[in-house]
Amino acid sequence: MAPPAQSQRSPSPSQPSGKSEVSDLKLQLRQLAGSRAPGVDDSKRELFKKVISHMTIGIDVSSLFGEMVMCSATSDIVLKKMCYLYVGNYAKVNPDLALLTINFLQRDCRDEDPMIRGLALRSLCSLRVANLVEYLVGPLGSGLKDNNSYVRTVAVIGVLKLYHISASTCIDADFPSILKHLMLNDSDTQVVANCLSALQEIWSAEASTSEEALREREALLSKPIIYYLLNRIKEFSEWAQCLVLELVAKYLPSDTNEIFDIMNLLEDRLQHANGAVVLATIKVFMQLTLSMTDVHQQVYERIKAPLLTLVSSGSPEQSYAVLSHLHILVMRAPYIFSSDYKHFYCQYNEPSYVKRLKLEMLTAVANESNTYEIVTELCEYAANVDIPIARESIRAVGKIALQQYDVNAIVDRLLQFLEMEKDYVTAEALVLVKDLLRKYPQWSQDCIAVVGNISSKNVQEPKAKAALIWMLGEYSQDMQDAPYILESLVENWDEEHSGEVRLHLLTAVMKCFFKRPPETQNALGAALAAGIADFHQDVHDRALFYYRILQYNVSVAERVVNPPKQAVSVFADTQSSEIKDRIFDEFNTLSVVYQKPSYMFTDKEHRGPFEFSDELGNLSIGVEAADNVVSAQRVEANDKDLLLTTSEKEETRSSSHNGSAYTAPYDGPATSVYASQTQLIETAISNPASAGQAQQASLAIDDLLGLGLPAAPSPPPPSPQLKLNSKAVLEPSTFQQKWRQLPVALSQEHSISPQGIAAFTAPQALLRHMQSHSIHCIASGGQSPNFKFFFFAQKAEESLNYLVECIINTSSGKAQIKIKADDQSTSQAFSTLFQSALSKFGSQ
Amino acid sequence: MLQCIFLLSDSGEVMLEKQLTGHRVDRSICDWFWDHAISQGDSFKSQPVIASPTHYLFQVVREGITFLACTQVEMPPLMAIEFLCRVADVLSDYLGGLNEDVIKDNFVIVYELLDEMIDNGFPLTTEPNILREMIAPPNIVSKVLSVVTGTSSNVSDTLPGATGSCVPWRAADTKYANNEVYVDLVEQMDAVINRDGVLVKCEIYGEVQVNSHLSGLPDLTLSFANPSLLDDVRFHPCVRFRPWESNQILSFVPPDGEFKLMSYRVKKLKSTPIYVKPQLTSDAGTCRVNVLVGIRNDPGKTIDSITVQFQLPPCILSADLTSNHGTVNILSNKICSWSIGRIPKDKAPSLSGTLVLETESERLHVFPTFRVGFRIMGVALSGLQIDKLDLRTVPNRLYKGFRALTRAGEFEVRS
Repeated sequence: MAPPAQSQRSPSPSQPSGKSEVSDLKLQLRQLAGSRAPGVDDSKRELFKKVISHMTIGIDVSSLFGEMVMCSATSDIVLKKMCYLYVGNYAKVNPDLALLTINFLQRDCRDEDPMIRGLALRSLCSLRVANLVEYLVGPLGSGLKDNNSYVRTVAVIGVLKLYHISASTCIDADFPSILKHLMLNDSDTQVVANCLSALQEIWSAEASTSEEALREREALLSKPIIYYLLNRIKEFSEWAQCLVLELVAKYLPSDTNEIFDIMNLLEDRLQHANGAVVLATIKVFMQLTLSMTDVHQQVYERIKAPLLTLVSSGSPEQSYAVLSHLHILVMRAPYIFSSDYKHFYCQYNEPSYVKRLKLEMLTAVANESNTYEIVTELCEYAANVDIPIARESIRAVGKIALQQYDVNAIVDRLLQFLEMEKDYVTAEALVLVKDLLRKYPQWSQDCIAVVGNISSKNVQEPKAKAALIWMLGEYSQDMQDAPYILESLVENWDEEHSGEVRLHLLTAVMKCFFKRPPETQNALGAALAAGIADFHQDVHDRALFYYRILQYNVSVAERVVNPPKQAVSVFADTQSSEIKDRIFDEFNTLSVVYQKPSYMFTDKEHRGPFEFSDELGNLSIGVEAADNVVSAQRVEANDKDLLLTTSEKEETRSSSHNGSAYTAPYDGPATSVYASQTQLIETAISNPASAGQAQQASLAIDDLLGLGLPAAPSPPPPSPQLKLNSKAVLEPSTFQQKWRQLPVALSQEHSISPQGIAAFTAPQALLRHMQSHSIHCIASGGQSPNFKFFFFAQKAEESLNYLVECIINTSSGKAQIKIKADDQSTSQAFSTLFQSALSKFGSQ
Repeated sequence: MLQCIFLLSDSGEVMLEKQLTGHRVDRSICDWFWDHAISQGDSFKSQPVIASPTHYLFQVVREGITFLACTQVEMPPLMAIEFLCRVADVLSDYLGGLNEDVIKDNFVIVYELLDEMIDNGFPLTTEPNILREMIAPPNIVSKVLSVVTGTSSNVSDTLPGATGSCVPWRAADTKYANNEVYVDLVEQMDAVINRDGVLVKCEIYGEVQVNSHLSGLPDLTLSFANPSLLDDVRFHPCVRFRPWESNQILSFVPPDGEFKLMSYRVKKLKSTPIYVKPQLTSDAGTCRVNVLVGIRNDPGKTIDSITVQFQLPPCILSADLTSNHGTVNILSNKICSWSIGRIPKDKAPSLSGTLVLETESERLHVFPTFRVGFRIMGVALSGLQIDKLDLRTVPNRLYKGFRALTRAGEFEVRS
């Protein structure tokens, strides 16, 4: 990423302030470079240490590159290491100088000490300078054949590094097949493991373009390779075991015998001291047995103990990660864990995110036999010092009550909460009692007696107040002074800030009116009058509706507002089972910790192999996030259209929004892009087949609402030689791929008119403008005065793409444009079009 | 696949940055992290996995030092966390503790270590014994430096012999004049006693810690008198699985020096060695506190370092607490700490006094949880006993030592 750290951090007074210090070092290094005096290594070491400490603090010491390289001719291995570190850090910004280091690194690659050979090879591969690739192939080739395993392990990873610098060089040198050979034959398991991870990455990346790589990647999952790795699993280091287990989890055994063989072989991995190995093994077990229901249950029984031990043994960080996984298992099979409920009791000094998970698990495992103990325990938390947890525990009690048949004891407890005279406890308990009454109307007598004693003045939280008002309305015939409490609430209408409460108040007064008309008439009149005058749209509408329906016919109104109700049998679950299954499929990944399937928080690029272009990698977060959200929503929409009701979809949608709507401190403008961009992209990259209709439909709605959004399908710009497709569609990943592949067709600088600069208050203004010229933005970023945009356009009737990188500096009024095109011959025409579009910005 | 590791000081300063892959992670991520750590308060600070706008961050905090790792790809979270924990362990082992100064003074060693522990984002070796052979710990370096000036380096000339051997945790040619092996049972009791004085949960988490100084490749077997007690066990990679499965015998070739041979759990214990009985009665703006401590179940050895701590609820204005044994302190963060030490023979220690509540509250609604600490030397409360420890080839001078210790872990009594 571009900005160097020192620009962000003002150096503290104790740190050297830069320039003079650095030139001082330069001088000293130069003096030492040629010297052969005894003890010179020691002074060099001191100097190198200083240089590296500057580098670590963030001071730019790249100007010392030449001197450092000169001093690197030494036999001292610590000096060498420090030098490698330095060179590795700055070679990328100084590709020309990096050439100087090649010589000594190559020489070290032939050193007789294997340690030095390895270190040199690692540093050589870490230079990552594209034009030095040719020097890498030789040392890597001999490194792979080295007789010392340390050098081979380094070389294998070196191949992977080479692949990321220049894939073609790596493939041409036939390294993948050498790695494959090593993987199957090397005696050292670390070499084998490194080969495996390197090959997985290389072949996954190649698979999209090469048939053979695809086959090779599939071959990694073939029986011989899997068995070969499994048979050696105990020789592998713990981290390599994780890698192998990860691979085995993807393997599809041919029959049940094979499944049992693998599980028997891996059983002792469950007792490994490394939690990562244990979890990876558990994943294998569960994936293997997914189709065998009864064995799957046994697997749960088997993995229970190791997981519970992991939770209690590790550091808090480790136990959190394990608990998240345990949570998903408990949610899937609560009955298996129901006898272990005591493990989910909260400890006093656990962090609250752990407590929250535990509360959810306690709720899930509650059944007839343990409910009493669990509820007793939960009630103790209600008096907890930690108020959010106290609230959660009351909610948990309520949830248990709603899922149990025998609720006697629980209702008593809830009613005790109401008498605790703590405002948050009362508030939570009220909400619960309301839900409880909806499910078990037979409890109304007991509850109403207690609820009636609560003064509405002590209840402030909107949700609780709404619940109280609902009960007042619903049970007004049983509560002596319900009409009068409601009346006093109506009198304070203006002080009630929550729309939800006012809505409930309206309905409650109506219900009360039907039951006890003479006592409520006044309150009803006042409520309707206040409601109609209310500025809140929903409240206003509902009041008006009630007023009119009362005018029309009172008995109809009663049938509408207060019909006999059926008890609710099941409350809707917030997370669909679809999503839960997906998370389960992604066991032992981040998805579990976030409690979201990966498509909701990573973009497609990062889900698979490791691959992305530098240019796009640097782009603004806001837009990337927006992209993610959109694509996630689309996937989700496709998956679930048939399964979910619209309201549920709304809910998940909004939650995924929250999930990715970060406000990073350094992207003030970008976040605002995000909000509007979502809309734009949503229309731009919708399903290609229906893109046109969708766009028009959404525009029609926009017009109705008079929002004056950009006119996207405006007539194409008047350019006879080139017509652009106004509804062009391009996937961000395709864009990235193309951007990497295509050469730059045109590179120009263009100045922007002063009006343009004036109109450039925020990037999205430009995006809208360009879109009206059929040039769509795919990503944007930057901060005043420098902004960077990636645009694309498509030629009408042909699917030829134009890709544009546009860097705009608002203070100088210049725009730097780089154009890449599928069809080079029309790029000039496109460029004219682009520039004319850009120059019109602000003048309309 | 980790992309970058940062070490941050407790003021958020980047002390060390180790890029692991070609995709540089900009330092600004640390600023983002720190700003959020501050803005979110303590609970966020300890959340180990965070999604930042550009990367997923894993963090582990040890002694005020934050180990921060970044990635952009999906990976097993526990692997990253485990790895960071290992890094922290190895560093503190190498540097003799962790703090800002020691890391800044030895950053070259830290770089060297990270270099060997992880390559291209994938963990390689974290076994301290092997690392110690590749990179000498700093204290030895300085010793050597003082003797032989100039030519020494803190990297050994040869590669560790074990990298090629089948027991990667051990070098092949260790030699000792005195062969010693010590086995410690270290147990920790976790218990919860609820408001009604009922023991709702009581568990032992234990570790078998071994300190071995044996020549050559020793092959050890360790057996317990009552292994059926153990509910779940986890082993160091050196333990062979089959003998345990069939006869519950631990058979292993130990690493050199100290290590954790196994950890275990014993569930459902029936009683605790001591009792703590808090009583709180509140009325008219004051609250009477009375806490009694005594021995419930004599383990046969002295119980010492007994402490009782509790957090005073925020609604308490002042507290006046005295005890008939030990000292009572109220710390600045409203934690009341009563250190008892040993329980005297002639009387039961008790703490009593009054708490004054805020003016508007009549009674106490938030009840403190009492956390109890104690230590018993010489006893493993789970009842686990070591039967015998054998060496396949007995060296001429061998000393074997056994110890046991039980501490209170999360021992809490609710009121």
